[in-house]
Amino acid sequence: MELEKMKVTLFAVVLLACAPVFLRAQNTAQQPPARGTAAAPAARVPTPGEFPPYKAPHTTDGKPDFNGIWQSFVTADIDIQDHDAQPGPHPDIMGAYGAWPGGQGIVEGGEIPYKPEALAKKKDNAAKRMAVNITSDDRRHETGDPELKCYRPGIPRANYMPFPFQIIQSTDNVMMVYEFEHALRTIYMKEDKETPKDPPADSWMGWSHGHYEGDTLVVDTTGFVPYTWFDRAGDYHSDALHVVERYTLVSPYHIMYEATIEDPNVYTRPWKVSFPLYRRMEKNVQLVDFDCVEFVEKMLYGPYYKNPGK
Amino acid sequence: MGIRSRASLIASAILMAVVLFLPLWVTAQTKTAGASAKSEAKPAAAKTWVAPRTPDGQPDLQGYWTSLSFTPMERPAKYGDREFLTEEEAAQIHKEGIQHSYEFTFNDLAETPVYDATVYALSAWQEGVAPNRRTSLVVDPPDGKIPALTPEAAKMREAARKRGPNQDYADPKAPVKADVAEDLNLGERCISFGGPPILPGAYNSNFQIVQAPGYVTIEYEWNNEIRIIPLDNRPQLSQTIHRWHGDSRGHWEGNTLVVETSNFRPGATFQGANAKTLKMTEYFTRTDAKTIEYKFTIDDPSTWTKPWSAIVPLSHMEGPIPEYDCSENNNDAVNILAGARATEKAAEEKAKNISQR
Repeated sequence: MELEKMKVTLFAVVLLACAPVFLRAQNTAQQPPARGTAAAPAARVPTPGEFPPYKAPHTTDGKPDFNGIWQSFVTADIDIQDHDAQPGPHPDIMGAYGAWPGGQGIVEGGEIPYKPEALAKKKDNAAKRMAVNITSDDRRHETGDPELKCYRPGIPRANYMPFPFQIIQSTDNVMMVYEFEHALRTIYMKEDKETPKDPPADSWMGWSHGHYEGDTLVVDTTGFVPYTWFDRAGDYHSDALHVVERYTLVSPYHIMYEATIEDPNVYTRPWKVSFPLYRRMEKNVQLVDFDCVEFVEKMLYGPYYKNPGK
Repeated sequence: MGIRSRASLIASAILMAVVLFLPLWVTAQTKTAGASAKSEAKPAAAKTWVAPRTPDGQPDLQGYWTSLSFTPMERPAKYGDREFLTEEEAAQIHKEGIQHSYEFTFNDLAETPVYDATVYALSAWQEGVAPNRRTSLVVDPPDGKIPALTPEAAKMREAARKRGPNQDYADPKAPVKADVAEDLNLGERCISFGGPPILPGAYNSNFQIVQAPGYVTIEYEWNNEIRIIPLDNRPQLSQTIHRWHGDSRGHWEGNTLVVETSNFRPGATFQGANAKTLKMTEYFTRTDAKTIEYKFTIDDPSTWTKPWSAIVPLSHMEGPIPEYDCSENNNDAVNILAGARATEKAAEEKAKNISQR
């Protein structure tokens, strides 16, 4: 039980530090953990990053079964690279609610291999992450973090937002439904006339095809708009972004997630992120609404209001 | 790419116009066809067709579907108590509906230069919508009419009618109230395009069903709004949690998926029903490879004097359901608000000029 308590405490600390977006999740997370059935003591305390050999359960049509509600617990949405805790915007009124936790990055090797001019743009993005200038054309996408504006997070960011997502796995399609802005993607498991290999249009969540390699779901996604970011630190890509994700069930409660990110316009070589996804285990857990559109209207459209600023 | 979202103002207008005027229009369209009414035999059910199953044994509703229909919600008076049209009448209405839909979209081209109707019009003639022999979507009560409102609901609706809409697309000269984003409707705000129930719109009545063990999911194309329906008999959410599309629980009765929905958000219910008392039950039954019979029953004793039901045929269509980015490119919200400010400014200038003379 000591370990359980530590886990719950750690969980609560992370959630508390992560400000208002986490509050709802926290409510359910703070329920006392269900006491497991008595079992023989584990051989040893698990070592983070290591999973013992595991054979994943299969669906009735013989595929590794990814159905469930999943969530990451990294702080990569703030910065996918190593970062200190920060006060967040408006500490004068937001206090600890608005502060952002520090954390270890998810980028393999630590650094994103930006081209020099691209690194400058990333820094400029970060400096202007809260610059909101909404026009009735594409200029609205030139500045500011899309998350702030409640836009679809894109891939891989959707997978490490501090919100759960649900995998609905059928034979022909694997749907991933994210609680954040009910963003979703359908991963087509076959290529045909309706779902050809090439993207019919660019989109925020990309155009994805998948296949299984053993017990790993491999998802290949292209066709992105150039507007999504990877984090609040301004890490970005162009419309040449190509993401290959690998989802591997490594325990009944974990998926090891890995994504290879390629974009010759922005990086000197492909690079990787990885982190585990945790199965949400609260009894009757389900997604609820986080339709943040209504929370950002005043920020976005306020300048066009009858009494701006009121 | 936002091409569709840029057209969403037009879409909302079309949707509203068609929902409001469909009965009248169908009445007008069918003047000639009505005279040759024959027997009222029910459409023959397919005899040999066996409903497919998913690998885990659920009846398989998966695929791409459209609820597009040319049948009015309520039965036009001329049909009296006739529940079904003749094949000829139904075919004629269908033909005219397709033609009307075609003309409607192409007539709008000048006003929607970014909207390439030849590519993006998600329109009747491009989809697999099948003729419907019913004279109305409402099947119960048997007169094909939505039951009377309760006195309280009638009073509220009359008050809303007197207030008028904040934006009246049917009347370009009508004043627009757009002081803040909340003055716009939920669709214009990219918050919700409504439902359940699933009803026909003028276009883009499209959705996808995906099933996994223990779940049926319905993804509407409008704003990619999604309903994830658990089938495991779990209890309803607490009444303190509200959802834009309500919160659904499903179970199978034979080959029929029965879905009960509650926890609606006040202000986001069908026809202004009372979110606290509204009980909505939907029935999905696949009747052949290309059709789902979709029935819904609405029971809200604080809004209608008795429960009522409607049947909307869902026709198989070609996929996929693309991303519908909406808030990401909500230029309508900017333009409506900015337009209202420009109108105010022009009025101020005019008043100033008059006073200076």
